[in-house]
Amino acid sequence: MKNLVENFFRHEYGHLVAVLTQKVGLSHIHDVEDAVQNALIKALETWAQNGTPDKPHAWLYKVANNNILGILRQNNTRSEILKKNQDITDSITKEEIETVLTSEFKEGILKWLFICCHPSIAIDSQIVFALKTLCGFSIKEISIRLFITETNAYKRYSRARTYLKNHSNNLPQLKQNDHCLRLPAVNKVLYLIFTEGYLSSHLQYSIRSEMCEEAIRLSSILVDSPMGKTPETFALLALMHLHISRLPARVNNANELLLLEQQDRSLWDQNHIQHGLYWLSQASVGDELSRYHAEAGIAIEHCLAASFEQTNWDKIIKCYELLEKTTPSALHQLNKVVAIAQLQGAEAGLTELYKQKPPEWLLESYQFHAVISDLNRRCGKQKKADISAQRAINLAPTPAIKKSLETRLKS
Amino acid sequence: MTMKKYLCVVRSASGKCKPPSPSEMEDMYDKFNAWKNKFESNIFDMGAKLGESGKVVSQAKTLDGPFVEVKEIIGGFMIIEAESMDKAIEVVKESPGVGSPESSVEIREMIQPPMKE
Repeated sequence: MKNLVENFFRHEYGHLVAVLTQKVGLSHIHDVEDAVQNALIKALETWAQNGTPDKPHAWLYKVANNNILGILRQNNTRSEILKKNQDITDSITKEEIETVLTSEFKEGILKWLFICCHPSIAIDSQIVFALKTLCGFSIKEISIRLFITETNAYKRYSRARTYLKNHSNNLPQLKQNDHCLRLPAVNKVLYLIFTEGYLSSHLQYSIRSEMCEEAIRLSSILVDSPMGKTPETFALLALMHLHISRLPARVNNANELLLLEQQDRSLWDQNHIQHGLYWLSQASVGDELSRYHAEAGIAIEHCLAASFEQTNWDKIIKCYELLEKTTPSALHQLNKVVAIAQLQGAEAGLTELYKQKPPEWLLESYQFHAVISDLNRRCGKQKKADISAQRAINLAPTPAIKKSLETRLKS
Repeated sequence: MTMKKYLCVVRSASGKCKPPSPSEMEDMYDKFNAWKNKFESNIFDMGAKLGESGKVVSQAKTLDGPFVEVKEIIGGFMIIEAESMDKAIEVVKESPGVGSPESSVEIREMIQPPMKE
């Protein structure tokens, strides 16, 4: 029996929704989702009985295509659509099925990505919409991955869907210029999908890595196309590979989060590091430096350091300075403080920290108090350290982070 | 030991239950294939899924059917081979179809006439 590739059902769902919706029109996205879902169920039943067909991909495309045409016919809208779109016929041609297997299909996924990233849709809705329609996650699965309620996930999703449905007439073929204008938004959505997975404190490794892998998969398709061949997207992909390489070492056997200096570096995935190096070299052209360049620059220093002690903190501090220029944020400043403390000592770190007044939101983050506690402890100011440690622990968003803080700050 | 045949009738709850997500379908498919491989020699006929509508014919009249208890419908059937009912139960118990709380499988031995000498 032919084995299906990993995540076959989920990816097929996403691809088919993306491609078929573009074919019959965005206003029918609801029907397309039903048609694709039913095609997958039919596949499940039929294949379980008769075995997987030789071309599962084409099999599904054909059934989903027939399903959607059936639904549209029932709704009496088909004649209308036929007028608009001459290339829809009952029997799909052999060539059409062949394109399903070729690069044109990837093109369909890419176009969909640019449609999802419509400037009028809120970014948190874009993410949910992309996860559902491109990656094939269900609303429930998305809510688990983003740590939000199912209701919230559904709301975000339907906002994006409603917008696209209502404005489907205003969404003609995106022109090349639109692609350029929208690329930063596309990059951002991919970046956020990645960080949702990477920074997540979800205890299940598979759930975290899955999101990162989805982001890498979509970004890889993007850099493969003319619209994505820009240094910024190359740097983004480099950053993803470099970060995910360290993911297997981030928790110990007891599922506790590990800090960089505690991680077993031999567990870092060298293959991903190589890919990261490659894409970073591709990204090093042109005169524009994006936040992704700066972040990838930081990540590569960590990946290449033989041990925590041998980390090139000087270079990392310089990258944080670049990052502050492209994307000013008090959190980046805080990270820089940590790097300075490594290079010049905890005292220098504290001095740097108090140079600027921290914004309100940073005062409410556990990271801020954890850093203060750590630096004070290293300066021998135990009392101050303890107060901040307690603040950090109280602010920890998840039990895993709380545990990690207790181990580190109270030792 | 001679193998006997067992007809397995798969019943599931009527009415629409929430459809599985694509990831769940993948899990179901993997489990099903693993089960099929494990009991390859016991599966005589994978059977089929049965349609939702049907008729019931008796001498008196033809009725719309199938006659079902309101709560469950016969979703499909298959034939398995095993040396005993116990073994048949073992095969069926591990099948993914029994995994969901709404479904059950009825197993009936198919009595075959003795071979002619």
